[in-house]
Amino acid sequence: MLLRSKLAIYFLIVVLVSAVISTIVGIQLINSHIINRAQNQVRHDLASAWMVYNEKLNDVKDIVRVTSERRMLLKDALIKGERNIVRRELEKVRKIYNLDILTLTDKEGFVIVRTRNPYNVGDDQSNDDLVSRALKGEVAATTQIVPVEQLKIEGDGLAEKAYSVFKATPKAKPTVKKYETSGMMLKAAVPVVDDNGNILGALRGGVLLNRNYQIVDRIKDIVYRGETYKGKDIGTATIFQWDVRISTNVIGENGNRAIETRVSEEVYDAVLENGRSWIDRAFVVNDWYITAYEPIIDYNDKVIGILYVGILEQPYIDMKMDVIWSMIKYLIIAVAIAMVIAFFMGRAITKPVSNLVHATEQISRGNFPSKVEITSKDEIGILSESFNSMSMRLKQTLDEKDIANEKLKDLNTRYLELLGFVTHELMQPLGVLKGYLIMMEDVNPDTALKPEQRKQAVSTMLRNVNMLINMSQTYLQLSKIESGVLEIHKKKVNVYKKIILPVMEDKKAKLIVRDISFKVENEEEFDKIEVYADPIMLRIVYNNLVTNAIKYGEKGKPISFGVKDEGDFYRFNVRNEGVGIPHDKLEAIFEKFVRIEGKSEHKEWGTGLGLFNAREIIKNHNGRIWAESVEGEWANFLFTLPKGK
Amino acid sequence: MEEKKAKVLVVDDELDVVEMLKMMLENASYDVVSAFDGEEGIKKAKEEKPDVIVLDLMMPGMNGFEACKQMKNDPELKKIPVLVLTAISQRFSDTKYARDLGLGLLSDDYIDKPVDPNVLLNRIATLLGER
Repeated sequence: MLLRSKLAIYFLIVVLVSAVISTIVGIQLINSHIINRAQNQVRHDLASAWMVYNEKLNDVKDIVRVTSERRMLLKDALIKGERNIVRRELEKVRKIYNLDILTLTDKEGFVIVRTRNPYNVGDDQSNDDLVSRALKGEVAATTQIVPVEQLKIEGDGLAEKAYSVFKATPKAKPTVKKYETSGMMLKAAVPVVDDNGNILGALRGGVLLNRNYQIVDRIKDIVYRGETYKGKDIGTATIFQWDVRISTNVIGENGNRAIETRVSEEVYDAVLENGRSWIDRAFVVNDWYITAYEPIIDYNDKVIGILYVGILEQPYIDMKMDVIWSMIKYLIIAVAIAMVIAFFMGRAITKPVSNLVHATEQISRGNFPSKVEITSKDEIGILSESFNSMSMRLKQTLDEKDIANEKLKDLNTRYLELLGFVTHELMQPLGVLKGYLIMMEDVNPDTALKPEQRKQAVSTMLRNVNMLINMSQTYLQLSKIESGVLEIHKKKVNVYKKIILPVMEDKKAKLIVRDISFKVENEEEFDKIEVYADPIMLRIVYNNLVTNAIKYGEKGKPISFGVKDEGDFYRFNVRNEGVGIPHDKLEAIFEKFVRIEGKSEHKEWGTGLGLFNAREIIKNHNGRIWAESVEGEWANFLFTLPKGK
Repeated sequence: MEEKKAKVLVVDDELDVVEMLKMMLENASYDVVSAFDGEEGIKKAKEEKPDVIVLDLMMPGMNGFEACKQMKNDPELKKIPVLVLTAISQRFSDTKYARDLGLGLLSDDYIDKPVDPNVLLNRIATLLGER
């Protein structure tokens, strides 16, 4: 896989993991935030509900108290026994203020006036907590469970109103009870006193909560302002008598208020058994609610029921989902942006790398690309730089190697060439020598050499031996020149005295044999000329030129030496008369292994290297050598040497 | 009794070599004629009708390869045995023709240079005996 794709994928993985983690954390945060908010809300709503509830209880208390202040009226009943008027007045009060009961007892606790059930009086109510306290001078108000017998005594319809048959409720605590006959009332009792403060009796009032929706609907109106969500009330309130709904605005499946259903076991245990409040989400009848339950206690702090408020969970869930969705939406946008960034970043990072890869491929194919572009100062930049210098050095090395190889090949070729030449050249004189020697060895008088033949053989052999010596010398010179061993040690040299005269001295024997003399033009002038040159080298040059002149010179004709001042240079020459050189060979004779074909009877064997060596030496002295000739008449070899160092 | 001497034509551009071979062959009782290049060799062969030809391969002008080829294509000369003198290097020459000739496949026999006189005399005697 491409580095770029890898980078992009790694980056993407990082982004996606971050996104997933953010999503999870975000959802958690949103969840807890919204649940907290909902729970705070419901806690707050519960407090409001309690206010409404207690307000109602206070109402009852206030009505009873205010009514008890009508002493003149009540005294009539308590003292004078005028019960009918009092009963009518109290019945009026009961109806105006929507009380279910309003009962007057004497100071012993016996009922004097019972508004709702006027003919049922005289029973002892002193065992009622509230009445007994009122008779002691207290004003008492509480929620209270009222047994069915008492309800029946208090008036028509109350027992029927309180009677509940439990409806099957999922999650409710199992119970053997099938119905409830008692009722739950808000009750208050106050003492009735005369002007001196003596207690004459007690006035007791109460409101039955069963099937009375005043409180719960007021809670709904005040706390939730009757708001609905998708056709459902946002807020609901319920009053439980023990675990049974007796007043509620939770709507059941049948569209009616869901009374006679029961609270869930979980809430039962927390609130009824342990007297704690319970705040959590709960499935109430049909829907999930964020709920709060708190125990309702009676005058003896005994738990007798539950006040409940609940907020529909759906709006919070929808809100939560909205928030989560918009978060996810932004995350997706962020991921998309990150991907685009990853793409470009990957490209920015990998561009120089792929440049390097491309360049490396090129190099491995043997092409040296131009430098890799350096786009940054980071590791890749450093790498590119190193790569550039490396490839440069590699190229340099390879080039050097190529050059070295070329040189080596060239040297090898020259070596083989030389070897072939030498072998061939040596074979000829050696063959001649061998032939004569074998013949001379022969002692058979018939076939042995005759004296004159022997003389001729020796003379030929001598000539051939000389030739071999001559050859060996020039090969040695050549090998030195070619291998670069030849070092030039220049010094001031008098060419005439130090070069020409010694060379001619060496050639004396040959000159005599060939009857060749030599002359020097302007001898006096020549003697004054000095050049900067390597005397040994220069001697080789003259030796080669003179050897040629003797070889190709006509018998009896002199060799002449000359020199001419040419400004920066001196021009020297060696001239002889004889066969000369064909015009088209004037340059070729300076090449290796090229010989002038002599027509002389006893052609001297040349090495084919003398002139080549001379040229190399003169070149190394920054001079030039060339030949001029008229074929069949004369040949002139000329070379220049610079005057200065 | 003196039997008629066999005639040998020596073709070589090197005077020293020719003279040496000539002296050797004459002392071995051969008549020797010489030529210094291929062209002259063919001319002399036609004139002198030698019994055997000793031919050097490396010569200026018409070389031994060409000369041998012409002799073997000439009805007048093709029966005369040709002994070529080769340098060892010619056996490894690049062209098949030169190699074959160097190995004596086109000529009648070959001798490596430098020539050993005894070997040369033996080979010439053999070639003459085969005739």
